[in-house]
Amino acid sequence: MELTTFIQTIANSVVAGSIYATVAVGLALAFGVMQMANHAHGEFFMLGAYVVYVFYALGGMPFPLAVLAAIPTIAIIGLLTERLIFRPTRGNVLAGFMATAGLTWVLQTAAGRIWGLAFMKMIPTPYMGAANIAGAQIGWQRVLIIPAACILLGLLWFFLHRVRWGKALRACAQDPEAAALQGISINKMTALAMGIAGAYAGVAGALLAPIHAVTPYMGRDLLITAFIVVIVGGMASIEGAVLAAFLLGFIHTFVTTIFDATSAVMVGVAFMAFILIVKPTGLMGRVKA
Amino acid sequence: MAMFEAKELTKYFGGLAALSDLDLEVEAEEIRGIIGPNGAGKTTLFNVISGVYRPTSGEIIYQGKEISGLITSKIAEMGVVRTFQRTALFHKLTVMGNVLVARHLQDKGGLFRAIFGTNRRIDIEHEEKALEIIDFMGLSDLKNELADNLPHGHQRSLGVAMALAAEPKMIMLDEPVTGMNPTETKHMTDLIRKVRDEWKMTILLVEHDMKVVMGLCDKITVLNFGKKLADGLPEEIQENSDVIEAYLGGEEVAELLGE
Amino acid sequence: MSKHKVLSIIGVAALLAVMSVLPFFAREYYVEILIIFLINIILVTSYRLIATTGDWTLCHVVLMGAGAYASALMAKHFGWPFWMTMPLAGAAAGLVGLGIVYPLLRTVGFGFFIASLAVGEFIRLVWIKFHTPFGGPRGMINIPYVGELGPIDFYEAIPYYFMTLMITSGCVFIMYRIDRSRIGNTFKVIYEDDILAESIGIRVGRYRSFAFVLGSFFAGIAGALLAHRLSAIDPHQFGLDEMVYLLVWVVVGGTATFAGPVIGVAVMTFLFEWTRPLLAWRPLFFGAILIGFLIFLPGGLESLISKFAFWNKKQKTT
Repeated sequence: MELTTFIQTIANSVVAGSIYATVAVGLALAFGVMQMANHAHGEFFMLGAYVVYVFYALGGMPFPLAVLAAIPTIAIIGLLTERLIFRPTRGNVLAGFMATAGLTWVLQTAAGRIWGLAFMKMIPTPYMGAANIAGAQIGWQRVLIIPAACILLGLLWFFLHRVRWGKALRACAQDPEAAALQGISINKMTALAMGIAGAYAGVAGALLAPIHAVTPYMGRDLLITAFIVVIVGGMASIEGAVLAAFLLGFIHTFVTTIFDATSAVMVGVAFMAFILIVKPTGLMGRVKA
Repeated sequence: MAMFEAKELTKYFGGLAALSDLDLEVEAEEIRGIIGPNGAGKTTLFNVISGVYRPTSGEIIYQGKEISGLITSKIAEMGVVRTFQRTALFHKLTVMGNVLVARHLQDKGGLFRAIFGTNRRIDIEHEEKALEIIDFMGLSDLKNELADNLPHGHQRSLGVAMALAAEPKMIMLDEPVTGMNPTETKHMTDLIRKVRDEWKMTILLVEHDMKVVMGLCDKITVLNFGKKLADGLPEEIQENSDVIEAYLGGEEVAELLGE
Repeated sequence: MSKHKVLSIIGVAALLAVMSVLPFFAREYYVEILIIFLINIILVTSYRLIATTGDWTLCHVVLMGAGAYASALMAKHFGWPFWMTMPLAGAAAGLVGLGIVYPLLRTVGFGFFIASLAVGEFIRLVWIKFHTPFGGPRGMINIPYVGELGPIDFYEAIPYYFMTLMITSGCVFIMYRIDRSRIGNTFKVIYEDDILAESIGIRVGRYRSFAFVLGSFFAGIAGALLAHRLSAIDPHQFGLDEMVYLLVWVVVGGTATFAGPVIGVAVMTFLFEWTRPLLAWRPLFFGAILIGFLIFLPGGLESLISKFAFWNKKQKTT
């Protein structure tokens, strides 16, 4: 592989890993806290992209503000999903997963009806130009995703380890019964987890909006990737999810560059099957599954 | 050769040693009591022997064969069956239905019979054997009653009946008389003795009811924190100071023994 | 014979009679729909067979695809007739099932669910990646039609319909017998308490794999029927979206009784056609149905029926 291509691929891998990580941490958190397997997670991502489309491309709001707007917007959708779908099906992982599969259809169809089904590549790129590293050209629009993801993941870490509610969330993920005995409200925790899940998936979609084709179905492929990341990372482990996200980002990008996209997905999926069968605790080895 | 032996049996869950270097030797047709405070590892012992858990180290030898690492159904096939501390039944089946399911191992019919299932003779044999066991356990009047509807004591009797239906050579009873009143307890105790006397079975018994344990068991093994604390005849165990210590200072044991 | 049994036989006979007469009163378009409906009955009933042990899979439509591709390949490349390729397609799907079930058995519940998705997707991606022999993303076309038997041309809708009706009835009958047999009972016993089952000597692993392979076999047969009717198959027909449709049938109908999933397919097929005017809003409607049922009627429509059925005195609805 040529050096330029190699550097390009590395850069793309880091970007991919950043996106995967941002999307997957929310999914891992939701699953860890109360076994909420969110099939509609890809649609949270999709709706985040549409927030940018509506506010930035249509509404003329500055790009960074539009991205930030995605956070509370999709967080609310996450909260609604928890309240209306996950709470009534609590205790039954399969039911929650299937119900959110229904939600996927609802959200995809709604987005299609509201904004049409045509390719929306018309989102103007706010940051033109590219960075030049050893001959490889990497668009600024892509590069900025890396520090954005780092900030977001850092914030999450801080929240989970230094803020009272975040610590309660972690406690709940590790042992819901003990947490309940300590007076932590499970409902508040599940709502919080899904709110974060929505916010993070949404902001990832928002960041990607200028780069990726914005369609109602853009979340579809991401769902399987997100699940691969969460499972390989260890179902309930946030750190594991981040690690797995970057690992998968590299694997996907390199395999796609060297072979093709289908092979990349195959490798990812095979990896997931392998982990589920051989080491269900995933990379980080946490017992919860 | 002993019927059953455990050698240096150890089981870790993460960093916690649920069983630690446990040695156990049980003779054929012996009734061995396994006692100890809560959390001592009694049920874990049963789970490890019956293959629900794999031991971290050590050996489990049944009739001269190493059985650690085998799956539960294989161990049951070899003749070791256990009952559960929780009420483990097929709730939507009747008493008769439950016992018939437990005859599974004894059904030599094979796949064809299992799908097209029409060998009246084998069916009748199973029904008769099931009835025999149901009679033995004193559940005849209830044989067509749904397992779910039975009072607690009878549910536990049914659990034992199911274990017996599998025709084991060694049976492990996990707290068989918990939740039973004195009459039911006496009945079960007599039955357990009969199972050993008439059906020549070896019995491991986990129980908290000290009167039952002392009256029924030939020998008793005491566990504490996963380790063997003492081993011996009931009288010896009663006088063992370590055992009395383990049960919270002694008054409890004295109470349990009715002194 | 009990009253229940007599009524059931009459009911089934009546149903078959109706199904035999129906195509003559319907437009050809609807006969095609009925053919697909019958194929889906095999699919959903075989899914339920596996689910009676407690194993819910996400790879069932992929196994249907395995049968479809197998039958298509055998017909195209070896020139074998349908009556040969169909059972072989079932066997092929069964073999694929056998190959994947042993690793899958190491997982349970939700882990099993997702692992089956992973394995299923992998297989589907193989079809997408390899143009030879699977035709890649565009799939396979020009799959030979079933041909003629004397004066009957199975290219026509009505003859194919009756052939499918016979095959479906046969498959459903076999699956029903298995469900009622000792093996079927063992499946249910395993579902209720697999640890208890193991402790009395039931080899849970063996039964789970048997259910899986058997279900895969029938899914393969359904796939063969599909391939030779449509004459073209592609990998997207066997993806997650289609799998979720299957789950909708199962959730709407219920799985506690043998007939539940069939009711689900029937109701959803009808609704699918009836809501055609909804056009692009349709998936939203079905998504809402799925959500609604899971929250408000998780036992499915069959749980409503059992509340009124006069012969279900002993059954308790949870």
